[in-house]
Amino acid sequence: MMKNSTPSDRTNSKPWSILIAGMKAATVALSLAAGVVGLASSAQAHGERNQEPFLRMRTLHWYDLKWSASKLKVNDELVVTGRVRAFEDWPNNLPHPMSVFLSTAGPGSVMAKKESYVNEMPVLQSFGMVNGREYEFKLVLQARYPGRYHIHPSLLVNGAGPLAGPGSWVEVSGSVDDFVYPLKTLTGETIPNLATYGMGTVLAWQGLWGFIALAWMLWWLRRPLLMPRHLALLRGREDLLITKADKVVAGVIAVGTIALVYGGAHWAEKKYPMTLPLQGGRAVVDPLPEAARSVDVKVVRAVYDVPGRSMRMTLELKNNSDNVLTVGEFTTANLRFVNKANSAAMAAVPADYPSDIVPRSGLVVEGDKPLAPGETARVTLDATDAIWELERLSALITDPDNRFGGLLFLYDDKGTRHISPVYGAIVPHFTDANSHF
Amino acid sequence: MSMSSTTAGGAAAEDPVIAAAGLTPAGAKVSRNFDWVIVLIALFLVTGAFHLHYMLLAGDWDFWVDWKDRQFWPTVAPAAAICFPAAVQYFLWTFFRVPFGATLCIVALMLGEWINRVLGFHLWARFPYALIWPSLLIPSALFLDAVLLLTRNWLLTAIFGAWGFGLLFYPSNWVMLAAYHLPVEHMGQTTSVADMVGYTFPRSATPEYLRFIERGTLRTFGGHSSAVSAFFSAFLCMVIYIGWWFMGWAFSKMIWVANPLASYMGLKNSQQS
Ligand SMILES: [Cu+2]
Repeated sequence: MMKNSTPSDRTNSKPWSILIAGMKAATVALSLAAGVVGLASSAQAHGERNQEPFLRMRTLHWYDLKWSASKLKVNDELVVTGRVRAFEDWPNNLPHPMSVFLSTAGPGSVMAKKESYVNEMPVLQSFGMVNGREYEFKLVLQARYPGRYHIHPSLLVNGAGPLAGPGSWVEVSGSVDDFVYPLKTLTGETIPNLATYGMGTVLAWQGLWGFIALAWMLWWLRRPLLMPRHLALLRGREDLLITKADKVVAGVIAVGTIALVYGGAHWAEKKYPMTLPLQGGRAVVDPLPEAARSVDVKVVRAVYDVPGRSMRMTLELKNNSDNVLTVGEFTTANLRFVNKANSAAMAAVPADYPSDIVPRSGLVVEGDKPLAPGETARVTLDATDAIWELERLSALITDPDNRFGGLLFLYDDKGTRHISPVYGAIVPHFTDANSHF
Repeated sequence: MSMSSTTAGGAAAEDPVIAAAGLTPAGAKVSRNFDWVIVLIALFLVTGAFHLHYMLLAGDWDFWVDWKDRQFWPTVAPAAAICFPAAVQYFLWTFFRVPFGATLCIVALMLGEWINRVLGFHLWARFPYALIWPSLLIPSALFLDAVLLLTRNWLLTAIFGAWGFGLLFYPSNWVMLAAYHLPVEHMGQTTSVADMVGYTFPRSATPEYLRFIERGTLRTFGGHSSAVSAFFSAFLCMVIYIGWWFMGWAFSKMIWVANPLASYMGLKNSQQS
């Protein structure tokens, strides 16, 4: 009988160590689960090649992309500029770009977005686009995390998802701890760093309540909890389970909670008398003025040669302008097929442009002759490169509607560019494609 | 002999509840270890299940500082958060007269949320803390527990406690949120700090147009849309509390089902054994 006293004393400390060990195990298990959730949400940030070809060939066409730097330190600015066109032959199975948000595609929030403009209008919020029209964008980013990132501009289209533009590798050095984004409010408050702003209050307030909650649970946990209480209840001894002290504590908790919440909210109202609701409006952006269509393009026949990894198209071009024009570039899905025989087109590819999206074999124009003003002529374009396979664009043969699209860049003798959209049906060829031309 | 038995029983035997339960010292010891095992399992279970439930129902409103509006966040978040507390309160109160069911659920939820925000949102996806802190639900839960104990009646708890659960949500969070609603000028536009946080740190899968905030004509109530939402939420909480209290009842019912396969399992006549 006497021996029993020692173990029963120990029962007070032993369960605690079990509890703490259990909490550690719980934390590890939950962390792993949380990690998986995080993995899933950030992995989709960069699946540019996973998107179906129609999403890349017939929605938005990006061109004239410029990245102001390729090496940055934390806090340095990176300016990405360029143009984007909402395509004429927008896929029928997608909603039109009525609600569009300009952002970046990359792994998580590694870059802070300082400013963003479309046609020189600030786009804090979403805006609408018009099909067949052009937009000029500017993104000012601030490096936040060190690392090597593929930075794309991206337009998130309501109903169609993120549609990313061309990406360029950017290397960021330094430490994330040095990142600062200061701001001044209209009420005169200084925000030293937007990334951590307000967290002092959040942690103190949530910590205080966490402490009260733990105290409340310990008030009950320190006493016998489950079986004894259940048995006592069955024997009609409810009076022992809820004591007078318990009722007093509950009363203090009820009144104290109301008082503390009221006091806290009152403090916040006094400290920040002038506040603004969340801004749920929209930006309004007019497209760039419509340029006269210099060349009408009609697709006579387009073929995707599967084994040859080659897209060939015969186009009927009608020159409506007063200039002599030559075919310089065909761009689709952020790839630039450039006619190497065309010096103006070659000059339009900056030396630092990401070479992985400028296929080396370029664009071969059969019967590459200048197009005189008013002339109508047929040309055959050949874009052959393993990149069709690499970028998984060859999957277009499994699209629900077998159409292709892109932009054709023509140049006059002064080197001025004339843009025409190209769109039409495409036929996959699994064997000898040449016989069909 | 009576002296020695008191000493031998130790602290546990002196507890009137143990005495009323008629437990031997050894039984009291076992029941205490059982308490801790159950508390630990409950913490795991509630953290996992409740976190999932809350993420699915109140998800983005709770994740992001620029979703915490005056209208949908204070309506949806408490209504989604009162479900588990109601069911667990039923179980713990009815069988054990333990009145911390709501606090246990909410502490477990917030523990899960913080683990997820730190590891998944911050360390993995690199969102800053200013964007991703979770809403506070502890004052609401404490009030709900206190009302259950003071009234010892589920209907009164539904009427007053659940009502307070919903009403307390917005002011208890405003303490933290007010600073994020200061006005800012950016690129010639007026916006709030919270909008700025959401704008500055890109979320590749949660664009601005997805935000379900500040819709409709609630602001015609003299600009007091948060108060209107809080009262509406309080009403919702009342109804949901009753529903989930009975969910707790349904799930803690013991049912015996006759085993139709008994004869195949060598249990020829279970009545006799
Ligand atoms: Cu990329």
